[in-house]
Amino acid sequence: MKMTPELKKAKENMEPGKITSSGFLGEDTREIVDIIEKDEEIFKNLDLNFDEVCEKLQYYLEEGKKGLGEPITVDGKYTVKIDEARGFLPCPFEDGIFRKINATLINNENNEKIIYSELSLHLLKKHHFCQGYGSEFRIDPLIIKKIL
Amino acid sequence: MSSVLIAPLVIGILSSVLAALIAVIDGIVNNYGEVNISINKGRKNVKVKGGSPLLMTLSEEGIFIPSACGGRGSCGACKVKVLSDVGPVLPTEAPLLTDEEIKSNIRLSCQIKVKSDIEIEIPEELFSARQFKTTVESIKNVTHDIKEVRFRLENPKEVEFKAGQYAQLVVPPYGKIKDITQRAYSISSAPSQKNYLEFLIRLVPGGIATTYVHQNLKEGQKFDLVGPFGEFYKRPTKADMICVAGGSGMAPLKSIIYDMYENNETDRNVWYFFGARSLKDIYYLDEFKKLEEKWPNLHFVPALSEPSEEDNWKGETGLITDVLNKYLKERIKSPNGREGYLCGSPGMINACINVMTSNEISEDKIYYDKFA
Repeated sequence: MKMTPELKKAKENMEPGKITSSGFLGEDTREIVDIIEKDEEIFKNLDLNFDEVCEKLQYYLEEGKKGLGEPITVDGKYTVKIDEARGFLPCPFEDGIFRKINATLINNENNEKIIYSELSLHLLKKHHFCQGYGSEFRIDPLIIKKIL
Repeated sequence: MSSVLIAPLVIGILSSVLAALIAVIDGIVNNYGEVNISINKGRKNVKVKGGSPLLMTLSEEGIFIPSACGGRGSCGACKVKVLSDVGPVLPTEAPLLTDEEIKSNIRLSCQIKVKSDIEIEIPEELFSARQFKTTVESIKNVTHDIKEVRFRLENPKEVEFKAGQYAQLVVPPYGKIKDITQRAYSISSAPSQKNYLEFLIRLVPGGIATTYVHQNLKEGQKFDLVGPFGEFYKRPTKADMICVAGGSGMAPLKSIIYDMYENNETDRNVWYFFGARSLKDIYYLDEFKKLEEKWPNLHFVPALSEPSEEDNWKGETGLITDVLNKYLKERIKSPNGREGYLCGSPGMINACINVMTSNEISEDKIYYDKFA
């Protein structure tokens, strides 16, 4: 995959201070295409499917909303807490806007934790972009494998 | 001179000339000179240098419009009514404006630039919002993820606000965060404490301001606040107040309840439902129990949604909406009518509104602050 002008623009949008203060890349200095290709490879090696992962994470986000802002136990082994803030965030690929709703999902059996937002799920499903290493909202496939 | 040298030299000179030309044209085209902002039909007029977003221009003049995203156009909090023609609604504004707001000329002040004389309308109370220089007086853990932070006001030294209102914390750049970030939090202290502002701040994973408060903020540190803002405050009626909160949503209701107690408004019935998951998430329990003893018309009803065995909890259990529904149907008789006061996540507020309206509290009598 090449760094097209659209991807270059998306990378600019992912920098700290553009859409969110901390950005989407964390400490990662790789090009977006390299991040995507590497994570696609890890997904494949771990026998994970982007659509299925998104569907499950969306399910826990919806179940978490039933806690009305407090942590809630879901399916007996997960703790989900939903935090909502005012407004919307645009996708750095400029193909949608998303409410500021974050989910913290913890697998109580192994204490593995992941934080994701509605925007994170869109980035994962539509663009196969898990976010850079060090981004607090990175949906790391290795952690996903341990959690789900 | 060989052509090998001449070509780069010519290109260099041409580039420099072009750059200078662009700078001159930019100075002419984008120099809007001095423009006038007329606020609320001339109640206040300010002369400013044109060219900057309205939000920032106003704040430089000491007029603070609430904003939770620092002007990035993502929160939609900085809405003002613009009576002059400033061009069509921008694509960056449209998702955050309703059709009704667009028809009423409501715009995001962070997105529109002041390029010529402009007439706007803002809520009158925004004239009293100030930037406060403060010192962090104390930071206490009230639960495992909520801190009570108390700021001593240095300049100005006093604040006037209505119990229930909020202020914005001005978080300085830290770590990877290169910009100043402003976030809104409800004031938890009573208005009688004019030299202090207190807040209850729950750690939000990934949250810029809450992470700063929980990990970086220190007692004795200088810190800026902007406010007060907000329409969430007690209405002066005799109706029973049905208050519901969870987590840091405690803040404005604590301020309102203590304000009422201090002003001897204790003949009014106040029911305060506070939802938490387990005992470790609940706080100020003893404080409100003591207040209940002194104020018989105050009824504090804490409820745990998932108490653990070791909690040995004898109080109400279940989601706060279920407990609220039970009390509204079976326990609360209100000859003077009822008003709802809610503070918490949008999901919690929407669920509480449904319960209240199904128990004959009309929606126009339900007041809320969704973003404590």
